This record gives sequence, structure tokens and C-alpha cells, in this order.
Amino acid sequence: MPQPLRAAFLVLMLALLPAAGEAIYFRQQVSWKQRPKADEVDVRTAQEWQALWLDARPGEDFQREHAPGAMPLNAENWDELLPDVLKAWTPGRKLIVYCSAQSCDASREVARRLREEAGLKDVFVLTGGWEAWKTEHR
Amino acid sequence: MKMKVLLALGLLGSLSDVHASLKWEQSQVELHPAPGDATAVGTFKYTNTGNTVVHFKSVHTSCGCTTAAQTKDQAAPGESGEITATFKVGASTGVQQKSVRVETDDPNEPFTTLVLRAVIPQLMELRPTFIYWESSEAPKPKIIAVKAAKELNTRSLKVTSSNANFATKVQLAGPNEFKIEVTPRDTANPSDASLKIEPDGGGKAFYATARVVNPTRAN
Repeated sequence: MPQPLRAAFLVLMLALLPAAGEAIYFRQQVSWKQRPKADEVDVRTAQEWQALWLDARPGEDFQREHAPGAMPLNAENWDELLPDVLKAWTPGRKLIVYCSAQSCDASREVARRLREEAGLKDVFVLTGGWEAWKTEHR
Repeated sequence: MKMKVLLALGLLGSLSDVHASLKWEQSQVELHPAPGDATAVGTFKYTNTGNTVVHFKSVHTSCGCTTAAQTKDQAAPGESGEITATFKVGASTGVQQKSVRVETDDPNEPFTTLVLRAVIPQLMELRPTFIYWESSEAPKPKIIAVKAAKELNTRSLKVTSSNANFATKVQLAGPNEFKIEVTPRDTANPSDASLKIEPDGGGKAFYATARVVNPTRAN
């Protein structure tokens, strides 16, 4: 191997050392982007369902714009908003919850509470959230 | 000789990568708000241990329920400051974990994720908060299990149904535990009720929903 190439290779190897160290040291760090989970559904699939759409973003964001037919349901006003959602739901109907983007966790929290507290099944989180919905409808 | 210089430069470059100039006192804060608290506030302190000014480019939170504010737009070498994250408790319960993503112009570590963990006490747990009967179903009673927090010192519950079609009966199930039996008078027609549940010690009321529904086909 020519000397300059060998030197470049050694430099690259040396640069890899701290990177590998960081990767090992910070392996438990919260990931900003999370992988899609089994209870998530993408926009295209969700639109094929006659589901009840729930907007988990703050009330002001919902007022500004939301998916057609969506109902607001967020942790801040849970007690006030939940009864209307439960009255709109019918057995067998799927629920799709979204928040602003993939990185937000409000939709996951709303979905968890609907399952654990209200005992509803077939609750899904929209992959990519409102951002993905808007991209799909551009 | 050339090779030694290259190696030395490479080594220097790789070593500088591990020294971020913004040093955080802690990147995770756990909070235990008291029952009834509207917000939980966490503070993340930092010091610029580098030799150049660090500018904050953005501070984003992982949900609308959390806001974050920084005291300064930049940190000079040796300067300290803090970022305050405020989580609106609302009707949230249990362990809530929210992230704050800080972006700076520090080339070695442009992004930092700060974690705010709030453990919110649940004063009263209802399972489930929603019961329903399909219109073809017999009008048999269904149970809502209630667990009250010790600090409420609840000896009895008052349950008020907004619709006379749903009758309720409260039974003591153990220390701070109750069973609410809900029975619809008929399930021939759709109807619904809001059940207001109040502990005898007063304070916040809790709600459950009861419905008689027409079944729909699964989709």
C-alpha cells in the first residue's frame, strides 16, 4: 500500500476511536427519532380505515388546523374532552391519534391512556404525526 | 516525517472531538409535583468550559405540554446559565418523560437532549373509565374499580349519573378501594351518561362514561 494511503487509513482509524467511545458511552441516551412500533399506522393505511381521528396537540394547534373530522384529545383538557370522544366512538371502530411530528410523544400518551384507562382496543398512533399528514396532502 | 505529521494532526483532531465546551450539570431531572400542582418545573444548568463563545440556535420540546426557556442566547467562556423546562401537569398521571432538544453552534456537540421526568401522583384511579353495552346486550351490571390515594382518606364515594337510564351502586372493596356497579335500565336504545365520582373528603371530582351503543362493523 502506498505510504500516503496508509497514513490516511491510519488517520481514519484514529478518528474512529472517539466516535466508537461516544457510541458506547451514550447508548442509553434518549433517541430523538424513534422507530415505528407495532401500534403505529402510516397516513395512507389510516385513510383507508373509517377510523375516529384524535388530535393530541395543544388546543391552539387544533383550532388552527386539524385533520378533517378529527376531535381534540390532549392531557391538558383530558376530563373535558374525553366524554365527547367516547360518545363518538362505536364498537369496532379504530382510533388514530396524532400529534405534531414523529418526535412528539403526546399521541403515544393519549393512546396509552385510552387503552389502559378507558379500556379501548384498536388504538393506533399516526406515524410522523401531523407533519406526515400535511406532507401526504400537499 | 510526513507520516508522523499526519498522524499527529489526526490524533489532535480526534481528541478535540470528545471535548464539548458546554458542560451540563445534569441532563436528566426528576420531579415529584404535589397533588394539585398545575406545573412541574425543572432547571438544567450549564457552564461553558471551552475557550470560545457558544451560541444557542434553538430549544425545542417534545410536546406542546412542555415549554423551555433559556436565560441567555449565548454563553461566553467560563459563563454559566440555565434552561428552564415547564411541564403543564393538566390531567396527566403517572410517570411523564419529556425531552428538550438544545441546538448550539458548538461544532463538537451541536445537539444535547435534556430529559424532564415528572412523577405525578394519581389521586383516584378508575378502571375502566368507560363502560358500554351494545344494544343487543342484556342490561347486566358492569363494574368500575376505584382506588383512592391514601392522602384522600376516602371512606365513601358519591356517584351521580347524568342520565336516569343508568343506576349506580357503590360498594367498599377494601381500604381506599371501591366498586361502582353500573346498570342500564334498558339497552334497547342508544343512551349515555356521565358519572361524577366524588370522594367524601371533597376536592376534585372524577368522571367515567357509560353508554348503550349501536354496534358497527369492524374496518
